[in-house]
Amino acid sequence: MAETTGRIVGAFTASHSPGITAWPERAEPAKREAVESAFTEVRRRIDELAPDAIVAVSVEHFTNFHLGNLPAFAVATSDSYLGPVTEEMGEFLNVAQRQYPGHSALGRHVYEFALQSDFDPALVEGGLEFDENFCVPFKHLDPESKHPLVPIIVNGVNPPWPTVSRCHDFGRMIRRAVEAQTAAQRVVVVATGGLSHWVGLPESGKVNEEFDRDFIARFESADESRLLDYTAEEIDAAGNGAHEIRTWLVAAGAVQVPFDVLAYEPVPEWLTGTAVAAARL
Amino acid sequence: MYSLHKLLWDIRKDPDLAERYLADPDPILDSYGIAGGDRAAMRGLDFKSMHERGFNPYLIYFCAIQLKVDRADYYAQIRGEKN
Repeated sequence: MAETTGRIVGAFTASHSPGITAWPERAEPAKREAVESAFTEVRRRIDELAPDAIVAVSVEHFTNFHLGNLPAFAVATSDSYLGPVTEEMGEFLNVAQRQYPGHSALGRHVYEFALQSDFDPALVEGGLEFDENFCVPFKHLDPESKHPLVPIIVNGVNPPWPTVSRCHDFGRMIRRAVEAQTAAQRVVVVATGGLSHWVGLPESGKVNEEFDRDFIARFESADESRLLDYTAEEIDAAGNGAHEIRTWLVAAGAVQVPFDVLAYEPVPEWLTGTAVAAARL
Repeated sequence: MYSLHKLLWDIRKDPDLAERYLADPDPILDSYGIAGGDRAAMRGLDFKSMHERGFNPYLIYFCAIQLKVDRADYYAQIRGEKN
Protein backbone atom coordinates (compact mmCIF):
# COMPACT_ATOMS: atom_id res chain seq x y z
CA MET A 1 0.00 0.00 0.00
CA ALA A 2 1.37 3.40 -0.94
CA GLU A 3 2.12 5.68 1.96
CA THR A 4 -0.08 8.71 2.23
CA THR A 5 0.92 11.98 3.79
CA GLY A 6 0.03 12.74 7.38
CA ARG A 7 -2.85 14.84 8.55
CA ILE A 8 -4.10 16.39 11.74
CA VAL A 9 -7.09 14.33 12.83
CA GLY A 10 -7.83 16.07 16.11
CA ALA A 11 -6.89 19.07 18.22
CA PHE A 12 -7.57 19.64 21.88
CA THR A 13 -6.69 22.28 24.46
CA ALA A 14 -6.68 22.18 28.26
CA SER A 15 -5.46 23.94 31.36
CA HIS A 16 -2.59 22.37 33.28
CA SER A 17 -2.98 23.70 36.81
CA PRO A 18 -1.19 21.47 39.34
CA GLY A 19 -4.42 21.49 41.37
CA ILE A 20 -6.13 19.36 38.71
CA THR A 21 -4.08 16.34 39.77
CA ALA A 22 -2.51 17.42 43.07
CA TRP A 23 -5.53 18.66 45.02
CA PRO A 24 -8.64 17.98 42.91
CA GLU A 25 -10.76 17.62 46.05
CA ARG A 26 -10.37 21.29 46.97
CA ALA A 27 -12.53 22.39 44.03
CA GLU A 28 -16.29 22.50 44.43
CA PRO A 29 -17.50 18.97 43.56
CA ALA A 30 -19.57 20.11 40.57
CA LYS A 31 -16.62 22.02 39.10
CA ARG A 32 -14.27 19.09 39.60
CA GLU A 33 -16.78 16.76 37.98
CA ALA A 34 -17.23 19.07 34.97
CA VAL A 35 -13.49 19.35 34.36
CA GLU A 36 -12.72 15.66 34.91
CA SER A 37 -15.63 14.61 32.68
CA ALA A 38 -14.29 16.83 29.91
CA PHE A 39 -10.82 15.30 30.27
CA THR A 40 -12.38 11.81 30.13
CA GLU A 41 -14.26 12.72 26.98
CA VAL A 42 -11.10 14.04 25.33
CA ARG A 43 -9.21 10.89 26.31
CA ARG A 44 -11.97 8.80 24.70
CA ARG A 45 -11.81 10.88 21.53
CA ILE A 46 -8.02 10.69 21.31
CA ASP A 47 -8.08 6.93 21.75
CA GLU A 48 -10.76 6.66 19.08
CA LEU A 49 -8.62 8.75 16.72
CA ALA A 50 -5.76 6.26 17.22
CA PRO A 51 -3.01 8.82 16.59
CA ASP A 52 0.46 7.81 15.46
CA ALA A 53 1.80 10.86 17.29
CA ILE A 54 0.65 13.78 19.42
CA VAL A 55 2.14 17.21 18.86
CA ALA A 56 2.08 18.48 22.44
CA VAL A 57 2.29 22.26 22.74
CA SER A 58 2.86 24.00 26.04
CA VAL A 59 5.01 26.42 27.94
CA GLU A 60 7.60 25.28 30.44
CA HIS A 61 8.12 26.93 33.80
CA PHE A 62 11.89 27.41 34.03
CA THR A 63 12.30 23.64 34.26
CA ASN A 64 14.66 23.44 31.26
CA PHE A 65 15.21 26.97 29.99
CA HIS A 66 16.27 30.01 31.96
CA LEU A 67 17.04 33.64 31.37
CA GLY A 68 20.47 32.79 29.99
CA ASN A 69 18.77 31.02 27.09
CA LEU A 70 15.00 31.39 26.68
CA PRO A 71 13.64 30.46 23.26
CA ALA A 72 10.38 31.92 21.96
CA PHE A 73 9.66 28.51 20.41
CA ALA A 74 11.41 25.17 20.79
CA VAL A 75 10.86 21.85 19.03
CA ALA A 76 11.96 18.64 20.75
CA THR A 77 13.07 15.65 18.71
CA SER A 78 13.91 13.03 21.32
CA ASP A 79 12.44 9.54 21.61
CA SER A 80 11.75 9.93 25.33
CA TYR A 81 11.15 12.61 27.95
CA LEU A 82 11.39 12.40 31.73
CA GLY A 83 8.48 13.78 33.67
CA PRO A 84 7.86 15.06 36.22
CA VAL A 85 11.40 16.42 36.32
CA THR A 86 12.10 15.32 39.91
CA GLU A 87 10.58 12.79 42.27
CA GLU A 88 9.59 15.67 44.52
CA MET A 89 7.64 17.31 41.71
CA GLY A 90 6.04 13.94 41.01
CA GLU A 91 4.87 13.76 44.61
CA PHE A 92 3.67 17.35 44.50
CA LEU A 93 1.71 16.85 41.25
CA ASN A 94 0.52 13.37 42.22
CA VAL A 95 1.87 12.06 38.93
CA ALA A 96 4.21 9.04 38.92
CA GLN A 97 7.57 9.83 37.36
CA ARG A 98 8.09 8.09 34.03
CA GLN A 99 9.63 8.30 30.58
CA TYR A 100 7.10 9.64 28.08
CA PRO A 101 7.65 8.25 24.58
CA GLY A 102 8.66 10.71 21.87
CA HIS A 103 8.10 10.56 18.10
CA SER A 104 11.56 11.63 17.04
CA ALA A 105 10.99 11.26 13.28
CA LEU A 106 8.06 13.66 13.33
CA GLY A 107 9.89 15.97 15.74
CA ARG A 108 12.91 16.15 13.47
CA HIS A 109 10.68 16.76 10.47
CA VAL A 110 8.74 19.57 12.20
CA TYR A 111 12.00 21.24 13.20
CA GLU A 112 13.43 21.08 9.67
CA PHE A 113 10.13 22.14 8.14
CA ALA A 114 9.98 25.11 10.53
CA LEU A 115 13.39 26.31 9.34
CA GLN A 116 12.38 25.94 5.72
CA SER A 117 9.24 27.95 6.53
CA ASP A 118 11.21 30.90 7.96
CA PHE A 119 10.60 29.99 11.61
CA ASP A 120 13.65 29.63 13.83
CA PRO A 121 12.73 27.51 16.85
CA ALA A 122 15.35 26.19 19.24
CA LEU A 123 16.29 22.57 18.60
CA VAL A 124 16.09 20.27 21.63
CA GLU A 125 17.48 16.88 20.65
CA GLY A 126 17.37 15.52 24.19
CA GLY A 127 17.18 16.32 27.85
CA LEU A 128 13.84 18.13 27.77
CA GLU A 129 12.01 17.34 30.98
CA PHE A 130 8.37 17.89 31.77
CA ASP A 131 6.73 19.79 34.60
CA GLU A 132 3.00 20.33 35.06
CA ASN A 133 2.87 21.52 31.43
CA PHE A 134 2.39 17.98 30.13
CA CYS A 135 2.34 15.77 33.23
CA VAL A 136 -0.93 17.19 34.60
CA PRO A 137 -3.12 17.05 31.48
CA PHE A 138 -1.64 13.80 30.17
CA LYS A 139 -2.38 12.06 33.46
CA HIS A 140 -5.99 12.38 32.35
CA LEU A 141 -5.56 12.25 28.57
CA ASP A 142 -3.10 9.36 28.27
CA PRO A 143 -2.55 7.79 31.69
CA GLU A 144 -0.54 4.91 30.25
CA SER A 145 1.65 7.26 28.18
CA LYS A 146 1.10 5.15 25.07
CA HIS A 147 1.00 7.94 22.47
CA PRO A 148 4.41 9.22 21.29
CA LEU A 149 4.83 12.96 21.67
CA VAL A 150 6.47 15.80 19.79
CA PRO A 151 6.79 18.46 22.49
CA ILE A 152 6.77 22.07 21.33
CA ILE A 153 7.49 24.79 23.85
CA VAL A 154 6.22 28.35 23.51
CA ASN A 155 7.50 31.07 25.81
CA GLY A 156 4.47 32.06 27.88
CA VAL A 157 6.33 32.72 31.11
CA ASN A 158 8.66 35.65 30.65
CA PRO A 159 8.20 38.89 28.70
CA PRO A 160 8.64 39.70 25.93
CA TRP A 161 6.53 36.86 24.57
CA PRO A 162 5.99 35.90 20.93
CA THR A 163 2.99 37.77 19.52
CA VAL A 164 -0.35 36.03 19.36
CA SER A 165 -0.36 36.16 15.57
CA ARG A 166 3.09 34.58 15.46
CA CYS A 167 1.82 31.75 17.66
CA HIS A 168 -1.13 31.23 15.32
CA ASP A 169 1.19 31.23 12.32
CA PHE A 170 3.40 28.69 14.07
CA GLY A 171 0.35 26.44 14.37
CA ARG A 172 -0.42 26.84 10.67
CA MET A 173 3.16 25.85 9.93
CA ILE A 174 2.74 22.72 12.08
CA ARG A 175 -0.19 21.62 9.96
CA ARG A 176 1.77 22.11 6.74
CA ALA A 177 4.64 20.18 8.30
CA VAL A 178 2.37 17.27 9.25
CA GLU A 179 0.95 17.20 5.74
CA ALA A 180 4.44 17.12 4.21
CA GLN A 181 5.60 13.84 5.75
CA THR A 182 4.63 10.19 5.96
CA ALA A 183 6.25 9.02 9.20
CA ALA A 184 3.13 9.81 11.23
CA GLN A 185 -0.13 9.44 9.33
CA ARG A 186 -2.59 10.41 12.03
CA VAL A 187 -1.54 13.30 14.21
CA VAL A 188 -3.36 14.89 17.13
CA VAL A 189 -2.46 18.31 18.56
CA VAL A 190 -2.82 18.86 22.30
CA ALA A 191 -2.09 22.36 23.62
CA THR A 192 -2.04 23.13 27.34
CA GLY A 193 -2.04 26.22 29.52
CA GLY A 194 -4.18 29.07 30.83
CA LEU A 195 -6.68 30.40 31.25
CA SER A 196 -6.49 33.33 33.68
CA HIS A 197 -4.10 32.88 36.60
CA TRP A 198 -1.33 34.53 38.52
CA VAL A 199 1.84 32.63 39.45
CA GLY A 200 4.04 33.75 42.32
CA LEU A 201 2.19 37.05 42.58
CA PRO A 202 0.01 38.64 45.26
CA GLU A 203 -3.05 38.16 43.04
CA SER A 204 -2.57 34.38 42.94
CA GLY A 205 -5.89 32.62 43.50
CA LYS A 206 -7.84 35.24 41.57
CA VAL A 207 -9.65 34.19 38.42
CA ASN A 208 -10.61 36.72 35.73
CA GLU A 209 -13.80 35.06 34.60
CA GLU A 210 -14.71 37.92 32.27
CA PHE A 211 -11.44 37.55 30.37
CA ASP A 212 -11.79 33.77 30.27
CA ARG A 213 -15.35 33.78 28.94
CA ASP A 214 -14.50 36.38 26.32
CA PHE A 215 -11.47 34.35 25.23
CA ILE A 216 -13.62 31.21 25.03
CA ALA A 217 -16.19 33.02 22.89
CA ARG A 218 -13.46 34.09 20.47
CA PHE A 219 -11.90 30.62 20.51
CA GLU A 220 -15.20 28.93 19.76
CA SER A 221 -15.96 31.34 16.94
CA ALA A 222 -12.78 30.61 14.94
CA ASP A 223 -12.99 34.26 13.87
CA GLU A 224 -9.28 34.94 13.55
CA SER A 225 -9.67 38.70 13.53
CA ARG A 226 -11.14 38.45 17.05
CA LEU A 227 -9.00 35.57 18.26
CA LEU A 228 -5.77 37.36 17.42
CA ASP A 229 -6.87 40.79 18.60
CA TYR A 230 -4.91 40.71 21.85
CA THR A 231 -2.07 42.88 23.03
CA ALA A 232 0.28 41.57 25.70
CA GLU A 233 -1.18 44.17 28.08
CA GLU A 234 -4.71 42.86 27.54
CA ILE A 235 -3.57 39.34 28.36
CA ASP A 236 -1.72 40.65 31.42
CA ALA A 237 -5.09 41.69 32.87
CA ALA A 238 -5.74 37.98 33.37
CA GLY A 239 -2.41 37.31 35.05
CA ASN A 240 1.13 36.34 34.15
CA GLY A 241 -0.11 32.76 33.66
CA ALA A 242 -2.74 33.85 31.13
CA HIS A 243 0.06 34.32 28.59
CA GLU A 244 -0.12 30.55 28.22
CA ILE A 245 -3.16 31.04 25.97
CA ARG A 246 -0.52 31.36 23.26
CA THR A 247 -0.46 27.57 23.22
CA TRP A 248 -4.19 27.52 22.46
CA LEU A 249 -3.53 29.89 19.56
CA VAL A 250 -0.93 27.48 18.18
CA ALA A 251 -3.61 24.75 18.25
CA ALA A 252 -6.14 27.08 16.63
CA GLY A 253 -3.69 27.85 13.85
CA ALA A 254 -3.02 24.16 13.30
CA VAL A 255 -6.67 23.42 12.49
CA GLN A 256 -8.41 26.76 11.74
CA VAL A 257 -11.85 25.47 12.68
CA PRO A 258 -14.13 26.35 15.60
CA PHE A 259 -13.52 24.65 18.93
CA ASP A 260 -16.13 23.45 21.40
CA VAL A 261 -15.27 24.24 24.98
CA LEU A 262 -16.28 21.07 26.82
CA ALA A 263 -15.80 22.60 30.26
CA TYR A 264 -14.98 25.96 31.74
CA GLU A 265 -14.88 26.49 35.45
CA PRO A 266 -13.34 29.34 37.44
CA VAL A 267 -11.55 27.41 40.18
CA PRO A 268 -9.74 29.69 42.66
CA GLU A 269 -8.74 26.59 44.66
CA TRP A 270 -6.72 25.42 41.64
CA LEU A 271 -5.62 29.04 41.06
CA THR A 272 -6.91 29.08 37.47
CA GLY A 273 -9.76 29.52 35.12
CA THR A 274 -9.83 25.89 34.02
CA ALA A 275 -11.01 24.80 30.59
CA VAL A 276 -10.93 21.85 28.20
CA ALA A 277 -11.77 22.22 24.51
CA ALA A 278 -11.95 20.16 21.32
CA ALA A 279 -11.65 21.26 17.71
CA ARG A 280 -14.72 20.63 15.58
CA LEU A 281 -12.94 18.41 13.07
CA MET B 1 19.36 41.32 37.59
CA TYR B 2 20.67 38.42 35.53
CA SER B 3 22.98 37.17 38.30
CA LEU B 4 20.10 37.22 40.69
CA HIS B 5 17.80 35.38 38.32
CA LYS B 6 20.59 32.88 37.71
CA LEU B 7 20.88 32.28 41.45
CA LEU B 8 17.11 31.79 41.82
CA TRP B 9 17.15 29.33 38.91
CA ASP B 10 20.22 27.50 40.17
CA ILE B 11 18.59 27.06 43.59
CA ARG B 12 15.51 25.64 41.84
CA LYS B 13 17.62 23.18 39.89
CA ASP B 14 20.27 22.21 42.45
CA PRO B 15 19.08 20.80 45.80
CA ASP B 16 22.64 20.85 47.14
CA LEU B 17 22.95 24.57 46.42
CA ALA B 18 19.59 25.13 48.10
CA GLU B 19 20.82 23.35 51.24
CA ARG B 20 24.05 25.33 51.28
CA TYR B 21 22.13 28.56 50.76
CA LEU B 22 19.88 27.84 53.72
CA ALA B 23 22.89 27.03 55.89
CA ASP B 24 24.98 30.07 54.93
CA PRO B 25 23.80 32.43 52.20
CA ASP B 26 26.63 34.97 52.26
CA PRO B 27 29.36 33.04 50.42
CA ILE B 28 26.84 32.15 47.72
CA LEU B 29 25.59 35.72 47.38
CA ASP B 30 29.25 36.77 47.14
CA SER B 31 30.00 34.25 44.43
CA TYR B 32 27.05 35.49 42.34
CA GLY B 33 28.10 39.11 42.91
CA ILE B 34 24.78 40.13 44.44
CA ALA B 35 24.92 43.36 46.43
CA GLY B 36 22.83 46.24 47.72
CA GLY B 37 19.06 46.06 47.93
CA ASP B 38 18.86 42.89 45.88
CA ARG B 39 21.18 41.19 48.33
CA ALA B 40 19.20 42.38 51.34
CA ALA B 41 15.96 41.11 49.82
CA MET B 42 17.47 37.79 48.84
CA ARG B 43 19.36 37.30 52.08
CA GLY B 44 16.24 37.92 54.11
CA LEU B 45 14.09 35.85 51.74
CA ASP B 46 11.87 38.93 51.62
CA PHE B 47 9.60 37.78 48.81
CA LYS B 48 7.49 40.93 48.84
CA SER B 49 10.58 43.07 48.38
CA MET B 50 11.91 40.75 45.68
CA HIS B 51 8.63 41.14 43.81
CA GLU B 52 8.69 44.92 44.21
CA ARG B 53 12.26 45.00 42.90
CA GLY B 54 11.10 43.33 39.69
CA PHE B 55 12.39 39.79 40.09
CA ASN B 56 10.59 37.29 37.88
CA PRO B 57 7.65 35.97 39.95
CA TYR B 58 7.98 32.40 38.70
CA LEU B 59 11.61 32.31 39.76
CA ILE B 60 10.93 33.84 43.18
CA TYR B 61 8.15 31.33 43.78
CA PHE B 62 10.06 28.25 42.61
CA CYS B 63 13.12 29.27 44.59
CA ALA B 64 10.96 29.69 47.69
CA ILE B 65 9.51 26.20 47.22
CA GLN B 66 13.01 24.74 46.85
CA LEU B 67 14.02 26.51 50.07
CA LYS B 68 11.19 24.65 51.80
CA VAL B 69 8.91 27.66 52.21
CA ASP B 70 5.29 26.58 52.56
CA ARG B 71 3.19 27.69 49.59
CA ALA B 72 0.53 29.36 51.72
CA ASP B 73 3.24 31.17 53.69
CA TYR B 74 4.84 32.33 50.45
CA TYR B 75 1.61 33.87 49.21
CA ALA B 76 0.87 35.40 52.63
CA GLN B 77 4.30 37.01 52.59
CA ILE B 78 4.12 38.33 49.05
CA ARG B 79 0.74 39.85 49.85
CA GLY B 80 2.28 41.52 52.88
CA GLU B 81 0.00 39.59 55.23
CA LYS B 82 2.93 37.95 56.99
CA ASN B 83 6.61 38.76 57.42
